[in-house]
Order: sequence, then structure tokens, then C-alpha cells
Amino acid sequence: MVLVLALGDLHIPHRAADLPPKFKSMLVPGKIQHIICTGNLCIKEVNDYMKSLCPDMHVTRGEYDEDPRYPETKTLTIGQFKVGICHGHQVIPWGDLDSLAMLQRQLDVDILVTGHTHQFKAYKHEGGVVINPGSATGAYSSLTYDVNPSFVLMDIDGLRVVVYVYELIDGEVKVDKIDFKKTATTHSMH
Amino acid sequence: MKADSNRSNSTQPPNWLAMLNQKKKKFELPLKVRKNVVFPDRLGSLVIGFESKDDAILGSDSEFESGEELETFQPHAFGFEREDDDDGHEVYNSDDGKSELRIKHRNEKDGQNQVSVAKLIAADEKRSDLEFELSQKEINLEKLQRIASTGLPDGGSLRATTWKLLLGYLPPSRDLWERELTENRLKYKKLKEELLSTPTEVTRTKDKSDSSSEPETSSGTDGQLERHEISQEDHPLSLGKASAWHQYFRHTEISDQIDRDLQRTHPDLKFFSGDTPSSKKSREAMKNILLLFAKLNPAICYVQGMNEVLAPIFYVFSTDADEQNAANAEADSFSCFVRLLSDSVDHFCQQLDNSPVGIHSTLSRLSEMLRANDDELWRHLEFKTKVNPQFYAFRWITLLLTQEFNFNSIMRIWDSLLSNPFGVQDMLLRVCCAMLLCVKSRLLSGDFTANLKLLQHYPDINIEFLLQVARDLTPDTSSYRLSL
Repeated sequence: MVLVLALGDLHIPHRAADLPPKFKSMLVPGKIQHIICTGNLCIKEVNDYMKSLCPDMHVTRGEYDEDPRYPETKTLTIGQFKVGICHGHQVIPWGDLDSLAMLQRQLDVDILVTGHTHQFKAYKHEGGVVINPGSATGAYSSLTYDVNPSFVLMDIDGLRVVVYVYELIDGEVKVDKIDFKKTATTHSMH
Repeated sequence: MKADSNRSNSTQPPNWLAMLNQKKKKFELPLKVRKNVVFPDRLGSLVIGFESKDDAILGSDSEFESGEELETFQPHAFGFEREDDDDGHEVYNSDDGKSELRIKHRNEKDGQNQVSVAKLIAADEKRSDLEFELSQKEINLEKLQRIASTGLPDGGSLRATTWKLLLGYLPPSRDLWERELTENRLKYKKLKEELLSTPTEVTRTKDKSDSSSEPETSSGTDGQLERHEISQEDHPLSLGKASAWHQYFRHTEISDQIDRDLQRTHPDLKFFSGDTPSSKKSREAMKNILLLFAKLNPAICYVQGMNEVLAPIFYVFSTDADEQNAANAEADSFSCFVRLLSDSVDHFCQQLDNSPVGIHSTLSRLSEMLRANDDELWRHLEFKTKVNPQFYAFRWITLLLTQEFNFNSIMRIWDSLLSNPFGVQDMLLRVCCAMLLCVKSRLLSGDFTANLKLLQHYPDINIEFLLQVARDLTPDTSSYRLSL
């Protein structure tokens, strides 16, 4: 049972002041084993805050990040799953499934976590799964003003992943669950 | 001669004193009279490393032994003159023990190697007695208790089986053993599944049973993944009290503490400490037991020290020569641990500290027992040096003496504790009292700091002797009142 937090596009302090308080109250240290951040934090303080939640943190570079040392893409293995991270502004057209699938095949990962569109999405295609955790602060994006704060918590257990989607809609936290299993066939594609 | 001349000269006190002093120096062998005193001061010299103050007690070991040689000519002397004991058991016991010691003494005259052979013979006799008892269809618990109180042999499965019988885990009739064991082990397995599985596993098994009727979603469908709404309680970050996740995370705190304590349990023993896979497995099993106990008893939860009480039980059951028993050591240890802790569990509960069943009341019972047996020492500790029992005996009593002696001694002491027909707590108080009496001379000559230091780091001592003293104590009658 490995809990992995995936979030990004906070745009603190440029477009948002902080995480919504309801989200902050839920994110306590000690429960989460890994944090995956798609990018656009933007400042070091946010980085330190997330490190305090969990020491194992992986960040990729978003176009507004102030730390130039973050990589463009990153891959890691958690349990039986290979996870890839990329901010997504590099993949044009932004948010296009086929292009993202191409990136996923390039990185050779089962789960690709990207951001930039500030909209939560979870797609399944023959190469694997693409998850977009949205913006955790609800910051506006280049594409839209109407953004609900959201983030994702993945529970990786063997060959099965349960994805919990946390969204702040009208001031209330709504939680959804997505289930999927890694099958042998998806792997044999490569 | 000198004495006579002194007396004829004058009757002044100094001369009389001088005469006495001279007489003292003449004595080499101990007086028969001194032997009859149950706790003569010189017994403290049996404590290893004790610097005797009295010159007359130099080389006391040999004196003591030679005294015992003389004793063997008397049929009923056992080294200590015994008053009639309250329980008839002891008289019977002395029969076995006497023959043991008599053999030992006769051979001692000849040399050291003869003694060890005699000891081996005695140990073998005991082992065969024990095996005979355990092979009966209906086990005579009283007889078993008697044999166990003289110490159980290491190795084999004798100790493990005897402890299981003494704790009431195994019924006295042999035919029921198989059934009891399998039943209990199954129960334990179920409990573990119920209480120790992570929420992920729970949802996994639930979903499996739910979706077993539906066909598997084909892996070929692409596109957006289906979202299912779930309640506020069902997700890992939920802060709701009723949430399974929240409870799970609350218990990880306890689990972490148990882990830390287990790392520190018996660091000198390979069985418990180190990074070998077997010691990790042992610690994992012990953690499961303690966590399960904490979950089943939320009022007491886990208290630091329970790991120490569990350690000897788990060790004995895991090193059982019988393969099946050793493999199921975890389940058996859990049941026996619960049984053992059931009479002293009140000591761990903070709210009950000042109640009649709490730790303070037990400590005062210890005090009373000491007072009944040795008023002088009691006065010295209570009033002169103000060494309160709660400074040293708290750990002795709650941890059943596991922190005071080395591991082998602990097992020997526990043999006696578990085999006492009046219960573990009764014998425990006696042993604590005996511990105080055995270092009496050092305590009497020490102040607060020295005494506290001594009692908190109890010195090495002959365990058989300690247990003998414990058996001979005047019983604590206040506990009889409670049992009525």
C-alpha cells in the first residue's frame, strides 16, 4: 500500500496565495510515501512545504518555476508501476491525448502525470494511463479562468492502482475514485 | 589463660570486652546456632563481588559448604532450618531436592568433576519425571507445578509445553490438545486478518467480491476512465473518526512505537536483535502480537514494557523442538501473553494507579511483606534511607523481573512464577522480597543513593538460592483476603 500524492500548477505566489485551507487540513505528514509534482510551484517555499509533507518528492520544470534545476521530465518506479512526470507545456498541442501518448511511449512508463492545462483528466489508452491532477490552488490558466482546485492521490497496491481525485467544488471537497489494473498485455506492447 | 588472669585482676568493662574479642578470634567454624537463623547476615556474601565487612566471614563460601557437610548427618536439615511450611507441597519437594543435594554433598568431598556428574544425573532424573508427567492422559497439574517450581530443563519442548499447561492454554487432558491448538491458531489467524490488514487490502477484497459477478472490463477500451463518487470516509486522507483509513493511520503511531521498543529488546540476543532475516521475522511476529493486543484492548493500548513480557514467552515457544509448535509460535504466544497479562494488566492502566488493584497497592503489599519478614530492613529502607518501593520495584513488578536478570535466569525465575499454585503475582512479590533480603547487608550499610543504585542494577546472584528464600517467606496474608 503505497500512497503517492500528485499535484501541480500551484502558481504561488503569482496567481494564487496558498492552497485552499480544506486541502491543507487534509495534507498531514506521515501518511504519504511519495509526492509527484508536475511543475509551476513556483517558489522555493512551496517546495519546502511539500518536502515537509513527505521527504521523497519529485518535481519537473514548469515554465514559471523559479528554480532552473528541475528536470524537464522524470521517471520513477513505484511498486510494480513505472511513473513518468512532465509538466506538459512542452507537448504541443497542449493537452492533446495523442501527443501525450507519444511522450508516454518515449518515456516508456505505465502512468504519465502531466499538468499545464489546470483541468483534471484521467485517460486510458493502449500505452497506459495519463493523469492530469489539475491545479491544486485553482489558479487560472492560459486556456481558462474557470478552474476548480484539484489534486490526486494514488494508492499503488501490487498490480492495482486506486486513484482518489480530490476536487474543491463550491467550497466543498468532493472525492472520486478510479480503479485500474495493470495487465500483462499493456506491457507486451513495448 | 589470659582471660582468666584478666578476670581475677578486676571487673572493669574494658577487660570483659577484650575477653570477648579474643574469644571471637578463636572461632573458625560457624556456630550451629547461627545456622538456625533464617536470614543470617552472612548470606549476603553469596552475592558475587560482595566485599565483606566482617573479617570473620572471610572465605565464607567454603565455610558455608563445610557447614552443609556437617548438616548431612542430620536427616531433615536442608541447609536452612525450615519451620513447618504452610503448604504441604514443599515437604514433598524437599524429598526430591534433598536426595539431589545429598548426592551433591557426598561427592563434593571428592572433587569438582564429581559434582557436575551428580548434577547431570539429577537433571536427567527431573527430565524423565517431567516427561513421564507430560505423557499422562490426564495431566496432574499439581505435580507438574511442583516439578516446574524446581526449574525446567532447557531444550526440547518440555519448557514450552509445561508453560502452556501452567498458563491454562492447553487443557489437562491430552486428547483435547490437538483440537484446542488448531482452534486457537485459527482464531488468531482470523483476528489478524480482521484487525491488522491495511485499508487497501480491505477494499481490494471487498471489490473482488463485489465485482466477481460482473464481467471484467476489457482492457481494450480507451478513452476517459470512469469516475466513481465515494463518501467522505472512504479516502486515505479522510479525517473522519469513523474512517477505516483514519484509524489505520492512528495505529501506525502505535506500530512505530512498538517497532522502536522491539529494536531495543534484548540487544545481546541474536534471536531478537540484528538484521538477520530470522530476527526480523521474530520482531515482525512480536509486533503483530503486540499490535493486536493494543487494538483489542483500547483502554490499555500498548505500554512500553509489554515487549519485554512477551519476549521470554515468544522465545520459548519459537525454540520448541516440535516443528509444528515452533511454526505456530506466534499464535500460541499471543494467547499465552494475554493470559499472563490478564492478572497484571491493571498495573499498566494509569487511571487505576491509586485503586486497590493498581500498582501502588501492590507496592504497598510488597512493603508489608518485607515488614512481616524483616522488620529491621524494612525500617531502614522506609525511614532511614527513604527508599520507596516505587523507585525500584515498579519495574520489577510490571515487567515480571525481565529487566533485572540475564535471559537464562529469567526463564528459571518464570518457571517458578508460573508454577506457583497461588498465582504469578503472589510468587512475584515473594521473589521481590527475597531480592531485598538477599542484599540486606549491603542495603543496611548504604544510604539513599547507594541503595537505589544497588536495587536498580540488581547484582548477579545464585538464582536457586533466591528462589529458595522466596519460598520460605511468610506469605502475604493480605492477598488471601482479596481472593476470598
